[in-house]
Amino acid sequence: MERASKAQAAAAQEEPRLTAPTATAPGRLASSRLLTPGGVATLGIALGAVALWLVLPPVTSRTIAVPLVVGAAGAAAGGWAIRRGGRRIGWGAVASGLIGMLGGVFVTRASAAHLSDVITWSTLVSLTLVYMTPLLFAALGGMFSERSGVVNIGLEGMMLMGAFFGVWGADRTNSWVLGVVVGVLSGALLALVHAYFSIHLRSDQIVSGTAINFLALGITGYLYNDIYGEKGTPGDLPAMPNVNLDFLAAVPPRTLGHFLQDSLSGISLMTLLALALVVLSWIVLFKTAIGLRIRACGEHPRAADTVGINVYAIRYAAVTLSGMLAALGGVFLSIGFSHSFTENMTAGRGFIALAAMIFGNWRPFGALWATLLFGFSSALSPQLENVDAWANYSTLFAALPYLLTLIAVAGVIGRSIPPAADGRPYRKQ
Amino acid sequence: MPDDSLVLELRAITKRFPGVVANDRVDFDLRRGEVHALLGENGAGKSTLMNILYGLYKADEGETIVNGRRVSFGSAKDAIRAGIGMVHQHFMLIPVMTAAENIVLGSEPMDGRVLLDYRRARERVSEISRTFGFHIEPDMLVQNMTVGQQQRVEIVKALYRRADILILDEPTAVLTPQEARELFEILRSLKAEGMSIVFISHKLNEALEIADRITVLRRGRKVGTVPRAGATEAALARMMVGRDVVLQVDKGPPHPAETLLEVRDLHAFDDRGVEKVRGVSFDVHAGEIVGIAGVDGNGQTELIECLTALRHRASGTIAVAGRTLSPHASPRDALDAGLGHIPEDRHRHGLVLDFTLAENLVLHDYGKAPFAARGWVFPRRIVQRARELLRQFDVRGGGPATRASALSGGNQQKLVLAREIGRDPRVLLAAQPTRGLDVGAIEFVHRRLVEERDEGRAILLVSLELDEILSLSDRILVMYEGRIVGEYGPDVSEETLGIAMTGGTLSGKAAAA
Amino acid sequence: MSERLPPTEGRPEPELPLGLAARLELWQRAGGVVTPLLTTIFAFFMGGLVVLVISGKNPLNTYREIFTGSGINWFGSYCSYPCTSSGNLQQTLIQFTALVLTGLAVAFAFRCGLFNIGGQGQYIVGTVVAVQIGVSFSSLPTAVHVLLAAAAATLAGALWAGIAGILKATVGAHEVISTIMLNWIALWVASYLIGFGGPMQDPAAGPVPVTKEIASSAKLPVVWGSQLLQGLHVGLFVALAALVVYWIVLGRTTLGYEVRAVGFNAEAARYGGISVSRSYFLAMAISGAFAGLAGSLDILGWQYRLDLTSVQTYSQIAFIGIAVALLGRNTAVGVFFAALLFGALKTGTSTRNLDPTVFKPELANNLTQLIQGLVVLFVGADVLILSLWNVRRKLRLPQRKRSPA
Repeated sequence: MERASKAQAAAAQEEPRLTAPTATAPGRLASSRLLTPGGVATLGIALGAVALWLVLPPVTSRTIAVPLVVGAAGAAAGGWAIRRGGRRIGWGAVASGLIGMLGGVFVTRASAAHLSDVITWSTLVSLTLVYMTPLLFAALGGMFSERSGVVNIGLEGMMLMGAFFGVWGADRTNSWVLGVVVGVLSGALLALVHAYFSIHLRSDQIVSGTAINFLALGITGYLYNDIYGEKGTPGDLPAMPNVNLDFLAAVPPRTLGHFLQDSLSGISLMTLLALALVVLSWIVLFKTAIGLRIRACGEHPRAADTVGINVYAIRYAAVTLSGMLAALGGVFLSIGFSHSFTENMTAGRGFIALAAMIFGNWRPFGALWATLLFGFSSALSPQLENVDAWANYSTLFAALPYLLTLIAVAGVIGRSIPPAADGRPYRKQ
Repeated sequence: MPDDSLVLELRAITKRFPGVVANDRVDFDLRRGEVHALLGENGAGKSTLMNILYGLYKADEGETIVNGRRVSFGSAKDAIRAGIGMVHQHFMLIPVMTAAENIVLGSEPMDGRVLLDYRRARERVSEISRTFGFHIEPDMLVQNMTVGQQQRVEIVKALYRRADILILDEPTAVLTPQEARELFEILRSLKAEGMSIVFISHKLNEALEIADRITVLRRGRKVGTVPRAGATEAALARMMVGRDVVLQVDKGPPHPAETLLEVRDLHAFDDRGVEKVRGVSFDVHAGEIVGIAGVDGNGQTELIECLTALRHRASGTIAVAGRTLSPHASPRDALDAGLGHIPEDRHRHGLVLDFTLAENLVLHDYGKAPFAARGWVFPRRIVQRARELLRQFDVRGGGPATRASALSGGNQQKLVLAREIGRDPRVLLAAQPTRGLDVGAIEFVHRRLVEERDEGRAILLVSLELDEILSLSDRILVMYEGRIVGEYGPDVSEETLGIAMTGGTLSGKAAAA
Repeated sequence: MSERLPPTEGRPEPELPLGLAARLELWQRAGGVVTPLLTTIFAFFMGGLVVLVISGKNPLNTYREIFTGSGINWFGSYCSYPCTSSGNLQQTLIQFTALVLTGLAVAFAFRCGLFNIGGQGQYIVGTVVAVQIGVSFSSLPTAVHVLLAAAAATLAGALWAGIAGILKATVGAHEVISTIMLNWIALWVASYLIGFGGPMQDPAAGPVPVTKEIASSAKLPVVWGSQLLQGLHVGLFVALAALVVYWIVLGRTTLGYEVRAVGFNAEAARYGGISVSRSYFLAMAISGAFAGLAGSLDILGWQYRLDLTSVQTYSQIAFIGIAVALLGRNTAVGVFFAALLFGALKTGTSTRNLDPTVFKPELANNLTQLIQGLVVLFVGADVLILSLWNVRRKLRLPQRKRSPA
């Protein structure tokens, strides 16, 4: 959804100005990938992350110079990139370097003993994957919808529907599988409403998506209060299975194997499903005919129409799919993670997923990295509360994922390029 | 050699839109192996007729007969299946996809049941283009191609679907004279292979060059069909417009005075970081019209944007009426310095369609006296001024309180002119000022520009239409790949200009074919 | 000459995607006041249907209860039991005050083509600042104290929204995502501030997350009813004044001209010399100012203190503001009536007003949300409303070959 005003002027025409091309996808800079501003800036971002990592367990370097030097190097790399024209990603590296330096200084002043309690990497990794899962489902769903040309702000609402109806379905049928089915169906139904209003009635897609969110809040809240009332959802909901990956302990060297086992064994089936879905989405979108058609509908629906593609049908299908996937994420949130439902439990995750999709440039693997990052920030905040010195600020840490998303929206992804016809209703003549 | 069997017949086609009859009982037929030109000015109904044929519109009355059978196309797919292919005026290509992807879209070769067979797609594309004697790079992104190449992709798109009737809608609108020549070669070779071609155009000379027969439409009606032999430009023009057309603007000699616009060594980049203006220098004097000719995409747009401060220039100086424009100037500063700008897209840039005519007329000056003081706006004075300007410029279709969207294209352009000229600028920048206008409006605009020139303004005209450049300009500059590659007087031949516009290669081939 | 317009030859039809402001303006030309009326009726109808289907209760009874609970019946002396309607009407008008302002917050941004979903965060920021100033400076005379608190809150709201405005203006970040993130950030920061051990928590309250009550010099005088029983405060007139200010700014100032131009066609506005970035920033800031003011009026007028629950519940009023703006089609008059409607709805469905035998009060809030959602949904579908209004056009919709309308 982000647009540079100039790119919008060119891309907003239904017949793109092919002679003065619109901007390309970011990252397609010069031929050599390493010494380009983009490559150097990415290195800078990595350096910033490393600076922070060095002061945390297991390395737990206590020398204040270490994060300062490494972080400064990252920031410098960013500065170099900026001067060579890679402005956006260069500033990202500068930010990362600064965070590395500041965070490193902060951490070296905290007590070392506590750090080991606080920053257990294996917990962080497994929690990251857990937090990532609902985001990833929703982000992939949003990706399909937007690739076909329909903006889907209602991911949040569809996720919420899935969360509630997943619980309700599992409760009624005593089976988590049927719970998933019911949840996914509810998401699909809500998505159909959005699709109808956006595609057939050509309403403004953002307004329509917002309405969907209100509707979902109303419906789920109403039903929750009506059916479960004050007692809340039952505590014995059927749970989703976890996958036993203990065999990972055998990976040499032993410390790595144990680390993998601690962090990854017991991962939820849904998480694995989400990861598989990333690969599947990539194949479908870029290697199949239907994927080509979906992308065509999102870039130039009139061109697709003139070769006989049914733009309406494809957009309907894509939006419905997005509803199903977002609901799947919601189902995981309720049944798979918190084993309950509370009103508005999605807490803005649908929007974080949207930001992740944009961050990932509307590509499956991009969404994967982005949701990993956001999942990491969500996983980090409860850990940070354990640090005594920061206990008073524990509530503030809850804002961390949102702050990070805001920075991401503002910084590195400010001018990413959506599918050219994204958000614009298509009218068959 | 066209034989007499008809591959296509349109009988009594009528199509109505709210407020206008686009096609009124039009008959049209196409013989096998012929090139049939469909001629008419903007708004005559040519594109509508062909869109009906191609299944994009449904006719209200009349029938379509293809190869002897009555057909009714519900969509483009039906038309494609019947062997009709269309190359649209605005290409139906997806910029971020490759040529091969664009060509096979909708009829993709499959590997198994699900995966797309990219290899076979590439092979087919190469095969087809080779058969007809041109070359297309299957894996090249469309957005990296020249317009001529893109057009060829469109043609191959039709051929891939085994079309034997090809419709080309204003194909030379975006080509240089040389590229147009190449296109005609391709059309001849297609003809030789048995294709039947409909060639839609408003350019008389092209119709005379390539067509076997010419049908003229005017205001939705067919005026007549003539064979090429014996047809003259004047006769065709009379058929198109219904009266004798003065093909040249009545223009006295220029009396250039002081330099009002001075550009030195201007450099600028586009949004992708590509350098589009590479050291442009020129002057425009009071009382003259300088025309910049060139194929779209050679930096003219960026040049105008720099002059109007809509784009930051990388280096170089600009001086208006002697005062230099700072590199950090805002568009407002440029306007205040004495520039007037008629933008090339009046809908997107020239007007706020949802504003009233009065509001549009003060788009630059709403914040200044007498229309406002200290942030407070005086609507009555705005309306008053609007009334004056509307009268002076003969803008019809509404009054100061009418919404701009209710006006016709010609009147909208007059509105833009009224606003710009009404501010009494020293320098007037006109970019494609007659785009999409009918002959009456074009005449008005041209006349007005010459009048303003005689009032002592400096006028810079940027246009893709060589006729317009040739008829209006006192001096002509040709822009190619961001540089001024030639300066000519008004008597220069189209041929010379055409060569300069493509970099001056005497072999006649487009530079990046 | 190359025809720039698509094959609808001869017609001045702009085949441009209409900007958000232009679309919302479309109905104004088409339906006058009928369109929002139809939308509302339709939404209520659908809401009633939902009530019927889900709980089996007669929706008409429910709506009658809501009507009585809202106090609107005070106007016509249509009053069956001991007339609590004056109290109810005061409540409705209190809600109305807040809704007018949050509605204007969204409406102003819409006029500039921006979707300000961040009203909640801007409201929260306003309440926090208002409480802080209300609690401090107790030695000031009332007028000054109130003015200071309200002004600071307004400024705070403007700044909070301004962040999103700057992001949009400089890097083009979409305001929907940035404002939503800012909502959550505001929520958590406020929760921290007034939570246990937080800097604004009342130490005398023990573990309860609540602030001190504001000084009496900061409380708004009540114009109807009693101060102790949450009577209607002078904020009502501030809201009405805000409506006038809104109308004046948009119609009679240069800023308003710029905002409207950018909302309709940002590119043309830029060509005309208007700074689009500046307009985006100012539009967001002014929007935020309205929302921040709403927050301060609620605090100074009747809440008097901030606690964790109220941070989360009362700030929802900003979302109703979205429905208000859309239903009122971003005009001052429209916002007035839409705010009245939703204010009545909110009061009528509040826990203490609704007879539990007719409708479970906890559900009532969700019903409001449902109706709200339906209103936004239908209001966003201008074509639907247009077609309901113009049956002839509706007959053409299903046809594949349509004239470009």
